[in-house]
Amino acid sequence: MVYAVFAPLIFAIIIPFLSRLKHKIHTGWLILPVPLLIFVYFLQFVGSDFKTSIATVDWIPSLNISIDFYLDGLSLLFALLISGIGALVVLYSIYYLDKEEQIGHFYTYLFIFMSSMLGVVLSDNVFVLYTFWEFTSLSSFLLIGYWHYRERSRYGALKSMLITVFGGFSLLGGLILLTIETGTTSIRGMVEQADVIVNSPYFLLILVFLLLGAFTKSAQFPFHIWLPDAMEAPTPVSAYLHSATMVKAGIYLMARFSPIFSEVPIFFILLSLFGLITLAWASYMAVRQTDLKGILAFSTISQLGMIMAMLGFGTSYAVFAAVFHILNHATFKGSLFMIAGIVDHETGSRDIRKLGGLMTFMPMSATLALFGTFSMAGVPLPFLNGFYSKEMFFESSLGLGGYSGSFVEGLVTAIPIIAVVGSIFTFIYSMYLFFGTFRGKYKENELPKEPHEAPFMMLVPPMILVIGVIVIGLFPNFFNQALITHSADAVYGADVTKDIKFWHGWNSRAFQMSLIVVGVGLLLYLTKKKWDSIYNYFPGRLNLNRVYDWIVEKIESASNKITTFYMTGSLRLYITLIVGTIILITAGTILFTNGSDFEISDVSSISAAEVIISIIMAVAAIGASIAKNRIAAILILGVVGYGLSLLFVLYSAPDLALTQLIVETVTVVLFLLCFYHLPNLTKDTSSIVYKGSNIVVSIAYGLLMMVIGMTAYNSRFAETISTYFTDNAYKLGGGDNVVNVILVDFRGIDTLFEIAVLFGAALAVFGLIKLRQDKGAK
Amino acid sequence: MNNLAILPIILPLLASVIVAFIPKKLNIVRKLSQIFTVVFLIIVGYIFWKVFANGPITLQGGGWDAPFGITFIADYLSILLVLTTYIIATAAVFYAPYSLSDKQEMFYFYTFFFLLISGISGAFLTGDLFNLFVFFEVLLMASYGLIVLGNGKVQLRESLKYVLINVFSSMLFVTTVAFIYSLVGTLNMAHIAERVEAVPAEQQGILTAVGILLFFVFAVKAAIFPLYYWLPNSYVVPNPVVSALFGALLTKVGIYSIFRVYTLIFVQDTGITHQLFIWLAMLTMIFGVIGALSTNNVKLIITYNIIPAIGFILMGIGLYSEEGLAGSTYYLIHDMIIKAALFLLIGALVVAAGTKDLSKMSGVIQRFPLLGWLFFIGSLVLAGIPPFSGFIGKLLLLQGSLGQGEVLLTIIALLSSLLILLSMMRIFVRGFWGEKMEGMTTNPRKVHALTIPAVFLIALSIFLGVCAEYVLPYVETISNYLLDRTEYISSVLKG
Repeated sequence: MVYAVFAPLIFAIIIPFLSRLKHKIHTGWLILPVPLLIFVYFLQFVGSDFKTSIATVDWIPSLNISIDFYLDGLSLLFALLISGIGALVVLYSIYYLDKEEQIGHFYTYLFIFMSSMLGVVLSDNVFVLYTFWEFTSLSSFLLIGYWHYRERSRYGALKSMLITVFGGFSLLGGLILLTIETGTTSIRGMVEQADVIVNSPYFLLILVFLLLGAFTKSAQFPFHIWLPDAMEAPTPVSAYLHSATMVKAGIYLMARFSPIFSEVPIFFILLSLFGLITLAWASYMAVRQTDLKGILAFSTISQLGMIMAMLGFGTSYAVFAAVFHILNHATFKGSLFMIAGIVDHETGSRDIRKLGGLMTFMPMSATLALFGTFSMAGVPLPFLNGFYSKEMFFESSLGLGGYSGSFVEGLVTAIPIIAVVGSIFTFIYSMYLFFGTFRGKYKENELPKEPHEAPFMMLVPPMILVIGVIVIGLFPNFFNQALITHSADAVYGADVTKDIKFWHGWNSRAFQMSLIVVGVGLLLYLTKKKWDSIYNYFPGRLNLNRVYDWIVEKIESASNKITTFYMTGSLRLYITLIVGTIILITAGTILFTNGSDFEISDVSSISAAEVIISIIMAVAAIGASIAKNRIAAILILGVVGYGLSLLFVLYSAPDLALTQLIVETVTVVLFLLCFYHLPNLTKDTSSIVYKGSNIVVSIAYGLLMMVIGMTAYNSRFAETISTYFTDNAYKLGGGDNVVNVILVDFRGIDTLFEIAVLFGAALAVFGLIKLRQDKGAK
Repeated sequence: MNNLAILPIILPLLASVIVAFIPKKLNIVRKLSQIFTVVFLIIVGYIFWKVFANGPITLQGGGWDAPFGITFIADYLSILLVLTTYIIATAAVFYAPYSLSDKQEMFYFYTFFFLLISGISGAFLTGDLFNLFVFFEVLLMASYGLIVLGNGKVQLRESLKYVLINVFSSMLFVTTVAFIYSLVGTLNMAHIAERVEAVPAEQQGILTAVGILLFFVFAVKAAIFPLYYWLPNSYVVPNPVVSALFGALLTKVGIYSIFRVYTLIFVQDTGITHQLFIWLAMLTMIFGVIGALSTNNVKLIITYNIIPAIGFILMGIGLYSEEGLAGSTYYLIHDMIIKAALFLLIGALVVAAGTKDLSKMSGVIQRFPLLGWLFFIGSLVLAGIPPFSGFIGKLLLLQGSLGQGEVLLTIIALLSSLLILLSMMRIFVRGFWGEKMEGMTTNPRKVHALTIPAVFLIALSIFLGVCAEYVLPYVETISNYLLDRTEYISSVLKG
């Protein structure tokens, strides 16, 4: 099983090399066996005596992350879809994609996707699942952007990535919470502890996190907006990722976790509500589309909504129907996408307004499309699988209950109505899709190409899918026993055996609903021209895409505004803000912890000389900052320095005083030397407020330092280590001057690296001057 | 007691002096520097192995026992960071000849380079608070020399801001060290920790205040909100190789110091200090990523992305739990490597496209597929997509934060990951994808030469993610070691 999952990934690495041979043989032929073999491999598990199996590889045991592939009925259904449709799509793409294109890239992305998607549906470990989950988003991003020289492809790719990765990160949050609450990283382990999760204080957060992940991936309202734009991808990709497999990952996730949540009313409410809104809204919107793939995209969204809603209903019947519909949808929608691709390929257009009357040119495609669309519409015929699951959907929407509360009761009443309304529109766009394309008047002048039937091999993949539609329709119970029952068992958590019947009698409510759908749908379809101006009013200019565009645009412009607001380039402002922050937070801490201990009783007496020198220094410091010309400023600053050395003298530190004197003298002299090159001081024109705030900040900073300094002086918690130095300077260090011994011996390493600093400074200055001279010489 | 602890500091210092003697003989200097760096890397690798096999190595400088002399301690955390530093230095030293002009190299690039490595290693390895200040000075001076290399007008203007803000923080550093010395009478970090612990709880207010003050010193260096004003422009103006060194290493010295001081010394009132870190981590993530989205200058986008990463690391320190610290350590290592790689790649991109302006770029991947795909993977690594290195650190951090009920922090961390991805994908979608642009470089071989060193770093990032199992035990050792301070204190004071 591990090999089956990773085989496509390994091939994805080899494909770039295989694609070098593409002029001899289309790369697609070389790699077609891979999905085919995987399909065959998974097929051997199918049967009424199905047993789960497991394969484990250690990955990061320290974090409880191991690759546990667990194959139950649900995984098996998905694995078969992924590999089976994968094989068909590869075959189809051989005719769809030109060898001249970068088909190596295409197949690499496609195979990365295939591995990831298999990984998603087989992983029992949540973090492995998450890893594969993100990789499906990424490969989808790359595939949508396959023709990246097109503006729309880039737009669609980024949009899908942002929305699905947003959901992915949210999912990650939910999964982490689940592991914290249950102490396990295994989904089965979590399901066993469902009560722990449901009673957790974070329950709602977990649910919201997971739902965001599932809704974004499975294009549920209002996150569905990325899917129509994803149609920029080559059609095989749309058929594969954006209808049959990847978009069902969210469904899979909900199905996988539903045993945990199924008893909780909020789960029922959210899932059914969003599912039904998605169903109704997307099928309503699909009727308005003019692009074949656009119709199919909205149709996919609405079908996903329907499955999501059924999972929300949570009854064994609904779960069974949901699982069944996953299979059915994959067959008819996959074939329809392929037909849309064929129409596009052979006529050069996908615009349904330009198409029409293609039946005579493309009879095979038309026949296949007929089965596909009618199955999608749920036309009651015994050889269309779509009808069975649609009717089961109606059946399951009835008589939900067991929850109290007026909102829930209202919802329960509304569910069948929304279901019928959504299905009516599904019927309309299905008819429109088929008749608009293949019947009606042939518009010769509007098509860029002379239409003709596709090569036979290109028709094979949709044909296989349509055969699937019919066979499932004819022998539903065969598939039921071999596959669907096991899947539904896995979701529902108990035995779900249902007999699928075509005929339930005239009195069956579901059948009556089907008849309403067909009747009203037909009527509305025929009169479509009369009422379709309704779209100008509703949704009219309302458009969720605009919300997305607005957000993305705003993120950039607002970021720019915010950043330029405080990153002004003004050093003074920066320093003011830095100092201001330090003052606020440090002062806050002192007040909060009662940390100041301002006490002057312990301070040694102050002599008159010290007072005088301090006053001189303070006056000079203020003077330097308001001086009008540079010479004055520097000289006054010199006064501060010399004052400091006098203080050192008073504190009996002659060596420090001497050093300070030399430094001060050299600095002043250096400054005077540089004078010649410096511009005059410009007059300070900043506002009073600005100056005032600077003064406040400066004084506050001084005060803060004083308070901390005095407190630090008063709170001596331990003896200083300095006595060791005075005791041992001569004895161990061999020097009379303690400071010197500290500098060159006790802490000699400090001195060594201070010298290194000077060394660096000297070279930097030398470099600056030298480079400048060289420039001057030129 | 073992001299190995100081080798990573002394060796590059010697190298820096040696190459300063022959600045004009570029061929020799280049080869020599490359050989030196690789040899040093091997030596550091040996010390790393030694530390994890036998425990921390300490050296009492000049034979003066702690707390009287200066102690160097190669413990699990510091030696891991030193090793990462040398790995990045190795990539940089091979990138430099293609990225710098001959003239820039002659004006002591390699001297400053080695001096920077020496200063950074010193900051990681020292066990003495004042000595840490000295190494801050060393790396500040070296970085100053590197910024002004080339002597452009913009470089001088931005370097001035860089230096002044850093000088301010150095002054604050010395002041704070004086306060600490006054309070506990010692400078050796292990000794300070021991003495701080002995202070009775009701008198600890002033210690907390001084602790916060010291935090700001490091926060300026680490580029934590709202103190990073100096960072964006001073990292954008120098040559890409310099930016890579800065982006990967300089801010990390600041965050390492926070790591060290707030797990070793100031842990007496985590309700204030570490809670503050969590708030600042959130703001740092938000504002950093906002900065990354605010511009079309590709180099600036990467530069701003340094900031949210610092937020992530600070978050783990703020959580102060086994998972938080392990996550921060992992994230720190990951971020050093991926930032270096991205700066190197962006340097190559700018050469390839002939512009830094994203709005003028398109279709670069059509001519430089390797560069494009490396950048794509690099972006995923940065955004923390599994199975790459960013994910492991992020996973640990989020587990830590949700485990402590920090829901808001988690949501902000997740959202900023998304926005980081957006900021990177803007470059990929607009710059690499699209129609082939006019005016791409006429020298593809140079772009190629600039891309190769990044291959090595990206491969390492993938390794750190996919083979996390090999790395995690080290990281877990580190986080347990940090939470239990006794091993550090005893290996310094009784070593």
